[in-house]
Amino acid sequence: MGRPKNLSFSIIAAIIGLMVAIQFQTVREPEVRDTRDTWQLREDLMKEKELQSKLLLEIRSNEEKIAKYETERQQSKEEVLRETLAELKDEAGLTEVTGPGITLLIKPAFNLIVEGDNPPSVSPDMLKRLLNELNLYGAKHVSIDGERVINTTVIRDINRVTKINGHSLNRFPIEVRVITENGDSAEKLYNRMKVSTVAEDFFIDNLEVIVNRPESTLVVPAYQDTIRIRYMEPVKTDKGGGNG
Amino acid sequence: MWLPIMGLVIGVIIGLLTDIKIPEEYSNYLSIAILAALDTLFGGIRAQLQNIYDEKVFVSGFFFNIVLAASLAFLGVHLGVDLYLAAVFAFGVRLFQNIAVIRRIILTKWSTTSEK
Repeated sequence: MGRPKNLSFSIIAAIIGLMVAIQFQTVREPEVRDTRDTWQLREDLMKEKELQSKLLLEIRSNEEKIAKYETERQQSKEEVLRETLAELKDEAGLTEVTGPGITLLIKPAFNLIVEGDNPPSVSPDMLKRLLNELNLYGAKHVSIDGERVINTTVIRDINRVTKINGHSLNRFPIEVRVITENGDSAEKLYNRMKVSTVAEDFFIDNLEVIVNRPESTLVVPAYQDTIRIRYMEPVKTDKGGGNG
Repeated sequence: MWLPIMGLVIGVIIGLLTDIKIPEEYSNYLSIAILAALDTLFGGIRAQLQNIYDEKVFVSGFFFNIVLAASLAFLGVHLGVDLYLAAVFAFGVRLFQNIAVIRRIILTKWSTTSEK
């Protein structure tokens, strides 16, 4: 036997061996059968259950941690400040408010209008009076024709058009939404407005005021613009902290 | 004489250790290729014993048979006919014949040596 002859033979034998091994491994794979009996299955199930309970415990502890952090956050100063800020925003009229209240409709009294008269318009004075009346009888949040009335709201006559926050009130009917503290005060306000003299004053301007029955959920929109504060500045405390 | 067996063992060990797996759908081709390779191997052994061994014929036959068998199986799959059975049959018959011839040669050799 010559040497190269044997060598090629061996190489080819090695290749065949490799192929057989690969084929064996490929075919053997699905031959791994599940041969566990009931008890082994039971034990495996137990193991998995233990794992599950462990995981559940972990989840619970994590949730507890979350709750702890939550309470810590709630008790922290930051949360107090946040709440105060939200309250102040609420009070300033920067948020949409939902609550019980009544709606008033201001619309032209057509049976009073004589032909040739100027079309009726709401005068700023009348509106201010109405607002005063409403505030007197327990209104908390008011919007006129979709414009929120806040402390700095201006109602004035610009070129003979009454404007509120720059929004013209020349389209009738004008809806005034009033939110009160609760249902009772809404009822009270309703009764007060029913007998109020403001409605009669509006009649002079050929307008009638319809007071609708109190509603349990009324939405007053937020103030749209940013509130510009020009003449206010924080009080300087003489001594650190102060006590007032 | 021991070198080819060593080669076979080394090949098997390498194959098992490297953990190579081919996709399930190609295992058909590999099995037919193995059959062809085994046929060639036994043919080579027989030729060796009959002293008509030719290395070129052996090596070329090895690769050619593998490729032919695999391509026959491939064609069979695409034609929808189990053509690889033809290869299995042909190689199987030849395998048996080769092994029978090898057995006879070894038997005659053995009997002649024992007679002496």
